[in-house]
Amino acid sequence: MNIKIKKTNDLIVNTLGLAITLGISIIIAIILIFILSEEPRRTIYYFFIGPFANKYYFGNMLDAAMPLIFTGIGISIAFKSSVFNLGGEGQVYSGALVATIVCLALSHANGFIGGFLALLSAFFVGALLGGLSGLFKMKWDTNELISSFLISNAVILIVNYFITGPLDDPKNYLLATYAIPFQYHLPKILLPSNLNMGIVFAILTAFLGYFLMFYSHWGYEMKMCGLNREFSRYGGIKVSNYYILPMFLSGALHGLAGGVSVLGTYHMCIKEFSFGMGWNGIAVALIARNNPLGVLLSALFFAYLNAGAKAAMINSDVTFELVNVVQSVIFYLVTAQAIYDIIRYKIKRD
Amino acid sequence: MIPYVQMKGITKIYPENNVLANNKINFKVQKREIHALVGENGAGKTTLMKILYGLEQPEEGKIYVKGQEVKIHSPLDAHRLGIGMVHQHFKLISEFTIAQNVVLGLEPLKRIIIFDDQKAIQEVEKINREYGFDIDPRLKVSKLSVGQMQVVEIIKILYWKADLLILDEPTSLLTEQQIKKLFAVLRRLVSMGKTIIIITHKINEVKEISDRVTVLRKGKLVAVRRTSEVTKKELSQLMVGKSVILDFVQESSKKGEAVVEFKEVTLKQKGGEHPLLDSINFSVHSGEIVGVAAIAGNGGAELEDIASGLCKVTKGTIFHYGEDVSKLSVLELRKRGLAYVPADRLHRGSSLQAKVSENVIISNHHSFLKNGFFNQGEVRNFTNHLIRHYSVEGEPEMPMGTLSGGNIQKVILARELTSEANFIIFSEPTWGLDVASSEFVYNKIFELRKQGKAILLISSNLDEVLALADTIIVLYKGKIVGLFANSEKITKEIIGEYMLGIKDDFLTCPQKEEEVESEH
Repeated sequence: MNIKIKKTNDLIVNTLGLAITLGISIIIAIILIFILSEEPRRTIYYFFIGPFANKYYFGNMLDAAMPLIFTGIGISIAFKSSVFNLGGEGQVYSGALVATIVCLALSHANGFIGGFLALLSAFFVGALLGGLSGLFKMKWDTNELISSFLISNAVILIVNYFITGPLDDPKNYLLATYAIPFQYHLPKILLPSNLNMGIVFAILTAFLGYFLMFYSHWGYEMKMCGLNREFSRYGGIKVSNYYILPMFLSGALHGLAGGVSVLGTYHMCIKEFSFGMGWNGIAVALIARNNPLGVLLSALFFAYLNAGAKAAMINSDVTFELVNVVQSVIFYLVTAQAIYDIIRYKIKRD
Repeated sequence: MIPYVQMKGITKIYPENNVLANNKINFKVQKREIHALVGENGAGKTTLMKILYGLEQPEEGKIYVKGQEVKIHSPLDAHRLGIGMVHQHFKLISEFTIAQNVVLGLEPLKRIIIFDDQKAIQEVEKINREYGFDIDPRLKVSKLSVGQMQVVEIIKILYWKADLLILDEPTSLLTEQQIKKLFAVLRRLVSMGKTIIIITHKINEVKEISDRVTVLRKGKLVAVRRTSEVTKKELSQLMVGKSVILDFVQESSKKGEAVVEFKEVTLKQKGGEHPLLDSINFSVHSGEIVGVAAIAGNGGAELEDIASGLCKVTKGTIFHYGEDVSKLSVLELRKRGLAYVPADRLHRGSSLQAKVSENVIISNHHSFLKNGFFNQGEVRNFTNHLIRHYSVEGEPEMPMGTLSGGNIQKVILARELTSEANFIIFSEPTWGLDVASSEFVYNKIFELRKQGKAILLISSNLDEVLALADTIIVLYKGKIVGLFANSEKITKEIIGEYMLGIKDDFLTCPQKEEEVESEH
């Protein structure tokens, strides 16, 4: 009984800690705005209230959260198994490209079938890139942290080549591919914003991820392998699978993030559109403590900050750089808090 | 006479699990004595010494050194007062040399910032001369035997100029011969004016080495005696609080068919010159306990790995009921009836960060799946059942690492022995356990033999091997150098000679297998 009481105390302390950090970072943000903005009140208003001001901002905020939910879950799955996927950027980007290529190639197919195929290929291209690092680790004990990062960097250049080379649409003035046929566009939800059915997929994926991680035997085996491989081997778990599987799934979800972004939000593959989705996924997962349902909230928080920044920039005198600084301060403190908690947690258990 | 160190009314509570580890303990050590601090697991011996060494802070109580009250907030304070401690698990860096390990934390420097390796070596050589050790400071710690590591730990304390040495379970990893050497070292240190506290739960050693003995039980001091004035039986009664049988009566067992057979089993390390296991031949029958005795580094651990399927043979075959199983996965072996209580409980035998419930279902978690998802209620019921049945102090939701050592072993036993096994490997099953827990383990092993299980017991505790095994195998440098049926005539000394490679006449083997070439 004592133990249960302690557990709730821990939860309260942790939540309180996070709340205090959030509070402090918001105060710092406000101070910064006061120093740097000519019309601080207006800036603060748009920064914090802007994302809820109208359907357009609100919908776009949710839309920005969508890829982060996928990447956040992807990172959580890898972290939970103690493997590190730093190749998120390349996996998202290549998923987006491959989804675009499939849509362009099947220009007259049925929207459902073609769309499904496009997302499936995005899923598998990400899975392949992630899985490759897992395979290297299993075969040659290559550090997956390094290999996934390097593979990702190489892949980004290749994707850039396709976007600006063979697939470049000379008629648009963006560095982007041809637009995908209309039948593949995911239905919009909150017009005039960009929000689309992709967010529903993301939420479903979060629940699926939650059950996978906490209630399925794969989740159990992944967790046990993550905590102690020797013990898992001893217990008869095929440990080598769990170098590959978490990286495979993690990569797959990143690829999906790219694919859904193309079909739902951008309808073409724009050069460097996905930059940051992979890295932010790591921060999202850290704050959510690798819990897929927590990822829903922390991704939303990230998107909220981003949307607030944009709103402030458009409606007030602050520059994008200032907004970035304020945003960074908040990210930094929140992530530091999350990392600190994790370290403390680990030390306590060791 | 003023005691050298006096601890008065020490009380320590661990709030995490609400344990009163030390309850108003008064403890005194005189200058130049060897003082044994004994008690069962969880009696509070180590806690008391950790307080003296500054690793733990007591809730109440005072500490006096040479009659002066002192506050010891950290091991650094302890060092200043001349108190040093060797922990049960050595804290040495295997990639460093002996000299580097010894000076770690108080390194000799040249030109202010550069580590002076030569000076470090000289320091160790000085201690060697002074105290009569014979150990080359340039050797890497990874090359040392466990006994030598112990000596390095002691040298390290002497380097810190300690006058009071605390040794926590110093003999738990040592062989008979190494223990004798260690005790000689301790006597020499005392003759040179040092004072020694030795924490142990082995009554034989208390009698052999100590001048006085303090007995703790459940956090309380129960007795302080002159060792010469107390019998072994009294001591064990004081420790446990009830009388224990130290000698087990062997029931005659019915040996059945061969369950597991090792044929020419050889294990080579990649690039290694000598095989780690060299043409091992023996079998384990149903209703038989085969005990394996070996000094660390002679193939005991490798045999454990091979038999449990965690490591695959380089050459040779393992048969299970006549079928070749040497290439099967651990899961397949477990399905065929393997259970395994490993020596390395904290890393291999359990996952300390995972919950107890997650630990007990590791090898059969598939049976708790319902429509692809875990039936958490059933997992909890199963865990609660095991916890009750093996009287584990813990709950299903607690992380395994929060349990005490004895309780961790109970959870491992509960998990392994509940499966439908026909071949069970026990490696160091009572290592670090107190009398009552050991007794529990022995009874379990006998019970399993009665049920007709085939049991492989790997242990460095010769008393244990002699008391339990029907057949004894001795490994030396990866080879079987002795294989005999256990009888009255077999003594610890005889086995010890085989373990050290003094004797290797495999011909005493009653089950004629193949002759092993003697090694010269």
